[in-house]
Amino acid sequence: MSVIARMLDTAPRPGGAAGLRVLSASGQLGNGIPEPALRAGLARAPHVIGCDMGSVDPGPAYLGAGRMATSEAVTLRDLRLVIHGARQCRVPLLIGSAGTAGAAPHVAQVLDLVRRIAREDGLSLTLAVIHADIDAAWLKGMVAAQRVRAIGAAIPPLTAEEIDASAHIVGQMGTEAFLRALALEPDIILAGRACDTAIFAAVPLLLGYPAGPATHMAKIIECTSLCCLPGGRDAMLGTLHGDSFELESMNPARAATPVSVAAHSLYEQADPLAVQEPEGTLHVASARFEAIDARRVRVSGATWEAARQPTIKLEGAAPCGERAVALAATADPAVIANRDLITEGVARAVREILPDAAFDLRFRAYGAGATGLYPGAATALPEPGEVFFLIECVAAAADIAKAVVGVAKQSMLHFGFPGRLSTGGNLAFPFTPPEIGAGPAYRFSVYHVTECDDLEAHFPVELVTV
Amino acid sequence: MSAPSRRLVDLAQVIRSKNAGPLHLTLDIMFPDAATYGIAVQSPALSRAAIAALYAVDPATVEVIPFAAANAIKVVMDRPVIAGSPGDTDVYGAQQHRPLLGVVL
Repeated sequence: MSVIARMLDTAPRPGGAAGLRVLSASGQLGNGIPEPALRAGLARAPHVIGCDMGSVDPGPAYLGAGRMATSEAVTLRDLRLVIHGARQCRVPLLIGSAGTAGAAPHVAQVLDLVRRIAREDGLSLTLAVIHADIDAAWLKGMVAAQRVRAIGAAIPPLTAEEIDASAHIVGQMGTEAFLRALALEPDIILAGRACDTAIFAAVPLLLGYPAGPATHMAKIIECTSLCCLPGGRDAMLGTLHGDSFELESMNPARAATPVSVAAHSLYEQADPLAVQEPEGTLHVASARFEAIDARRVRVSGATWEAARQPTIKLEGAAPCGERAVALAATADPAVIANRDLITEGVARAVREILPDAAFDLRFRAYGAGATGLYPGAATALPEPGEVFFLIECVAAAADIAKAVVGVAKQSMLHFGFPGRLSTGGNLAFPFTPPEIGAGPAYRFSVYHVTECDDLEAHFPVELVTV
Repeated sequence: MSAPSRRLVDLAQVIRSKNAGPLHLTLDIMFPDAATYGIAVQSPALSRAAIAALYAVDPATVEVIPFAAANAIKVVMDRPVIAGSPGDTDVYGAQQHRPLLGVVL
């Protein structure tokens, strides 16, 4: 009997006194799952175990390059822990946003690690692998039909050129894809890019739980114990009763309180009151949070509004050249005071030496406001005693980028300016060589929402036995 | 007896920034209780216009969302650069809260 058939036989349905236990084992699989809390969660006999592996937080490089943000060693460790944990409990394991970004190469890398674990540990496993790569031709058609919109003002409307420039484009799948995969009764679902909530809401929906509370619970537990005081990465148990659910961290040192859980709705959300999913919208404005005891909370009242028009959130990354950096510092008050004049002069000098090269050269003066994204962030900063310069170049070729930062650092070292005293050099280099090739640079080329009339066609499921 | 402090750093429990996706930055200001939250939510120092002036951006790119259930005020701002693109300074957006530290309600 498959673990899913067994779950369908034994798991409580809505309204049952015991509740459906959903264990969130990791919000960032591959960064090191804390083992004591995972063990405590497994001891509670969950009906399903979920893990999120992905995020856009680390930036476009991972999606663009097809690389995981986590190390192979720790990812292997974490996968081994949850695979064995799910087998021990004889329950399904759902993993979403495989390999950080959830495109084809990320899914393939995680599948390879699962194969290695199966081989080394003598396991036989059936996986339902759900792909999340978006077909470029279809997407161009949707752009042409004006059915794609940007998610924010920082990115322009999507074009066919940007689609072609992208190394990878993925769509965030919702529960629809997980439900199709569950129907195949695998031991493990390994999903490409997925909505965090879909990983944890799919089994409750399969069992007939109402979508509002099920999705709200999923939204909170997908970050494991981050909704607690103090927040952390320990496994989190959600127990769903139907109209309400209970939350408990599997680390006894972490407390879920009504305010800590409500506050989690703010985290990384542009709108704390409404969460958009492919199949609809979760509304949490009417949610109630009550303490059960000092470290457990009961939540109820969230509602679900099914979408008239299903949508897919798209993420794409494009290469934009090769990056090189040079690192240097100054402790000279005159250099610090004249830093803008110096860097502008150096930029001109580099352009004179390399007149035909296409490159993008930037100077960042750390200690003097380089961290601020907004113009107002740099006001009222005290004049620094020392400044760290990050000289950065992005160019079409790695040797050009390195040449540019090399010329820039040398020019900056000896740059003359009015009032200069220390003619030995303007800069202190922390090591040699101070120029470092930083590899390909990427940017998010796609961060848009497309309408979609047939979600099933875009997230194909494949059964794999290892 | 001195008057109670009106400095945001003395009243708030959490003052943080983070991306909400690569196109938006959010500022979360959380208070220890409903009374303190009530003072903050009525203060002009945390209005859309005041936040826009503090960060020197167009008020049309700023939204202030009070969230009473968490005794919190959320601010959502357009990012001037897409997270992680060349020219970005803070890929996670986690160090953009500093201007709030000087706010007096």
